[in-house]
Amino acid sequence: MITFENIRKSFGKTIAVDGISFEVRPHEIFGLLGPNGAGKTTIVNMAVGLLKPDSGTVALSGFGSPRDPKVRVKIGVAPQTLSLYDDLSAQENLECFGKVYGLRGAKLRERVAWSLDFVGLSERKNDRVSNLSGGMKRRLNLAVALVHNPEYLILDEPTAGVDPQSRIAIFDNIEQLKKDGCTIIYTTHYMEEAERLCDRVGIMDCGRLLAMDAVDALIRQHGGNSTVIIEKADGRQTIETRNPVEDILKLQKETELRGFRVLHPSLETVFLHFTGRTLRD
Amino acid sequence: MIAIWTLAMKDLRILLRDKAGFFFAFFYPVLIAVFMGVIFSGGDSGSGSQINALPVYLVDQDSTSASQKFAETLAQSEDLQIAPAGLEQAQEDIRLGRKAAYILIKKGYGDARENMFASEAPVVEIGIDPSRRAEAGLLTGLLLKYGAQDMQRIFSDRSLMRRQVQTSMRSLQESAPEEYAGLYQFLSSLDSFLADTTSSAADSAFTGFEPLRVEEKKISRQRTGPPSSFAVTFPQGMMWGIIACVTGYAVSLVSERNKGTLLRLLAAPLNSYQVLGSKALACFITTILASIILMLIGVFVFGIHVASCFKLALGLIIVAGAFAGVMMLLSVLGKTENAASGIGWAVLLVLAMIGGGMLPLFFMPDWLKALSSISPIKWGILALEGAIWRDFTFRELLRPYLVLAAFGFLSFFIGARLFRWSHQT
Repeated sequence: MITFENIRKSFGKTIAVDGISFEVRPHEIFGLLGPNGAGKTTIVNMAVGLLKPDSGTVALSGFGSPRDPKVRVKIGVAPQTLSLYDDLSAQENLECFGKVYGLRGAKLRERVAWSLDFVGLSERKNDRVSNLSGGMKRRLNLAVALVHNPEYLILDEPTAGVDPQSRIAIFDNIEQLKKDGCTIIYTTHYMEEAERLCDRVGIMDCGRLLAMDAVDALIRQHGGNSTVIIEKADGRQTIETRNPVEDILKLQKETELRGFRVLHPSLETVFLHFTGRTLRD
Repeated sequence: MIAIWTLAMKDLRILLRDKAGFFFAFFYPVLIAVFMGVIFSGGDSGSGSQINALPVYLVDQDSTSASQKFAETLAQSEDLQIAPAGLEQAQEDIRLGRKAAYILIKKGYGDARENMFASEAPVVEIGIDPSRRAEAGLLTGLLLKYGAQDMQRIFSDRSLMRRQVQTSMRSLQESAPEEYAGLYQFLSSLDSFLADTTSSAADSAFTGFEPLRVEEKKISRQRTGPPSSFAVTFPQGMMWGIIACVTGYAVSLVSERNKGTLLRLLAAPLNSYQVLGSKALACFITTILASIILMLIGVFVFGIHVASCFKLALGLIIVAGAFAGVMMLLSVLGKTENAASGIGWAVLLVLAMIGGGMLPLFFMPDWLKALSSISPIKWGILALEGAIWRDFTFRELLRPYLVLAAFGFLSFFIGARLFRWSHQT
């Protein structure tokens, strides 16, 4: 479990994180959502030990603070930017980072081979990164985070700018990692990704955690009404309702329905509910 | 330590695959060294400078009208740059390499010149470093030429000629009687000679006389200057190679920061000193390799003689270490690759200009020499030149070593602090 307890972090006069507390449970995928400047990256950087909170604590249960290099061995990180050496091959990148994490000899070779196979890049292992496609680079970015077999994985927008095929492949990888027992923090702007992958999500804005729960619970609590669009002989009717099935059955008794559609509230509705519609920088 | 080595090897591998980086680290210094070496040597191989007017001292120990006349002839020569001096000063200055040679008009020159037919040829001594064979030959030829002209002057002047004959006759009368036969024989020959002077044979009339006897005195010059221009420009080239490496690695650290690989490394079980140390180690290894390649080319292609290989190796290690520290400081001054590159070259170019990277230190005016002490480039060049041709003792090398170590340590310390500070906030 990763615990964030009342953490604060300021950069000059800007408060990036303002007294946030939450925990990421073992073997869950925790989604961190928020508009640009919400404080997600600051949280991620504190989770991997790059930043020290001004106050409060970040700890991996049983290990301690990620500021300790020995604790960081337990964490893998796939940054949002493609953090790879363009002039090295896929395999050389993995070997380099594997050695940095203390892997040697047969263990290193085994983990490099596993990582390449896991993300489907075994056949391109000798290609320089500069010659790989955007999707392949994203998958390699994930593979580098996994090469030392971490218990905790921090994925910062791991599907940014990739094609649907690579995105699906990355989803499959993440779901497999969860099944294998990995604890994952996942930040994204794509709400459908969070809905599909995350067990729980936290919605942040202006350095504060505004909501945190399972996706369905959040939608139920904060998503508002469903929208029912009904096609009748005399035209189309739109109804906002908490209980669309009940309302449709009631309408069917009163009038002849030619058809209907139900639009359920989504995580996006919840997100906009908390963060508003104002454009961010 | 293994992690530092791994990352340093990664940087070297990337450098080898980066054509531009490889060129600037390994070939650019060679080009600089050869180009500047050719310029400073004036196109020759650096065996010595060929000067239009040979700068020489003139010492007149005879102080007769004949010697003074000869001195005037020499002073008017376009081939010589005459400066009067005493013998001791002349010998000392030649030993120290301040002048090429001296001409000594020995005592008795005037007597010999005025008693041309009855005594030995007047003697002039030249003092010169034995290695200046070309200059010695040139000077001997010039003295014989002006000696012959002096003799011609006497023959073409009737009063001088009469005085010569009278002096000779007086001399012969004072000699043993058996030598009178020689007088008549000589006068007879002179008569024949004078009869022939109406023809063009007059030009070669003195073939049988020795107009001047030139004696050569060898004065070994104390070596205070570089043996060749390449001995100066190759240490400069090494410094340019180091500058290219320092700038390249400073930019690569900024590039790692911007690409996110630095974040990945800092999120790994390494501390920031290990990450920085790996970059400094890669910079250190590259500068050592580039310098070794450059020095091998200098020794085997351009004939540079290294006075002390051990001191050169030690100097190189200290210079490379110091500039790895400078690299650390430069890498935190720019936020983008372009800014880091611009700052790196701007700072190092100025330090190179005032530190002897372009104009050799011994060519600099005194004020610039004093100013150059603020540049680590100067101390780097001194550390290398001290081992290559200045033949410094360890005591003399200690100062450049200490200054470089202080520069390197201070730069690394400030750079590391700024780096840590920038990644904490």
